[in-house]
Amino acid sequence: MGTLKIERIGGLAGFGVPGSKVKSRGEQAVSALSTADQASVEALFQNPNRQQGSGLERDAFRYRITRMVNGKNQTVEVPESAVPPALKACVSDKLT
Amino acid sequence: MCCFCHIVPQKALKRLADDRSLSADQRKNFADTIKIDVELRKLRTQASKLTRVASMMAAPVAAAAVAPLPATPVFDCNHIQTLPGSQVINPGSSPDATARRAFAETTSVAAFYSQVFGRNSIDDAGMTLISSIHYGANYNNAFWNGSQMTYGDGDGSIFVDFTNANDVVGHELTHGVTQYSLQLNYTNEAGGLNESLSDCFGSMFRQWEAKHDVNQADWLIGKDIMGPAALQRGLTCLRDMANPAAKHCLAPQPTKFSQYKPGMDPHESSGIPNLAFYTIAKAVGGNSWDKVGQIWYKSMTGFGPTPAMKMKAFANRTRAVAAQLYPGNSAVAGAVNAGWKKVGL
Repeated sequence: MGTLKIERIGGLAGFGVPGSKVKSRGEQAVSALSTADQASVEALFQNPNRQQGSGLERDAFRYRITRMVNGKNQTVEVPESAVPPALKACVSDKLT
Repeated sequence: MCCFCHIVPQKALKRLADDRSLSADQRKNFADTIKIDVELRKLRTQASKLTRVASMMAAPVAAAAVAPLPATPVFDCNHIQTLPGSQVINPGSSPDATARRAFAETTSVAAFYSQVFGRNSIDDAGMTLISSIHYGANYNNAFWNGSQMTYGDGDGSIFVDFTNANDVVGHELTHGVTQYSLQLNYTNEAGGLNESLSDCFGSMFRQWEAKHDVNQADWLIGKDIMGPAALQRGLTCLRDMANPAAKHCLAPQPTKFSQYKPGMDPHESSGIPNLAFYTIAKAVGGNSWDKVGQIWYKSMTGFGPTPAMKMKAFANRTRAVAAQLYPGNSAVAGAVNAGWKKVGL
């Protein structure tokens, strides 16, 4: 089922922007997720635009999630509110 | 607000919801997703309409009554990520220092906008300013969600409590002011302007509270939320308006418009107008909010919504407003022009 690579970006501090000295990354094996979380992740990849919040959020985090499908990377970028807690919990903030 | 306004095809979700190779739970999830999607789209449309209607109504309401400062309730998320949390009774005298700070600084930002710019809360119609504190666990962020402020406690290492920094409180509330005035998008040049306005007014608020003139001001954003691990690395702020590319910034920024690239994160491109504001304020001298702040405020609130505004258009607007507010004052006009030219605008 593979592994998800997750990066938390943006926020007031500009996590992950070029030159930024703070990054927030993690990995999560899909097989370790609950069935509900696996379905939520699948829904994010099938339709990443479905939960974009009000569009009025400012300084909120976004998540860049990447998986390998048929040998190719597939990446979506979604607001924090759309991300299952299990995925949010696997990133950690580090100074680089 | 256009940045997330996509036409969302639901075919894929519907196909998955009908896919018998998936479990019943998974199919139900996809079916629920379709329903949520429909409702969220309605909510987004409604939020956008509400903002526009409220901004049109703001002036008559404000003119009709001299309102007291807006209410500033504080809610406690108790370290989970559900908003708004439970209300803190009497936050001004709470045993929780975070609650006291959120209440005091939010009230002070409202006073700043009222006394310095004659604005009645972020919508200019007395809108209640809601703050939620202790959001999430060791949460390294503060944000505006379109209707309220939210503050994390920080992890105690890279960042400390986000209510510690008065400029952060001013920054987040100014996102609300922008939402009810220029209504800037959060992408490309408009996004950079949006972030810059929050930095400019957040910094001015910090200076106003400290009674610092432009020479006494530190011009740093987020100085008081930097944690011990960051400070040990020599990282003393998120951004430095006086020197956006400085090594002591957690996220150094460009200083010239020629460095701007479409799609840049707003927290990166905001360095360009931030440096222009700093340069102009230093050249004019005195208190930043007395003259340059007035020019920025009128440029932000005096012309109705311009969601996709370019930096050059904003620069030219401040030039025009400077001439309008301070006719015959060549020192101010010259400073505004030179400040923008310095960054290539």
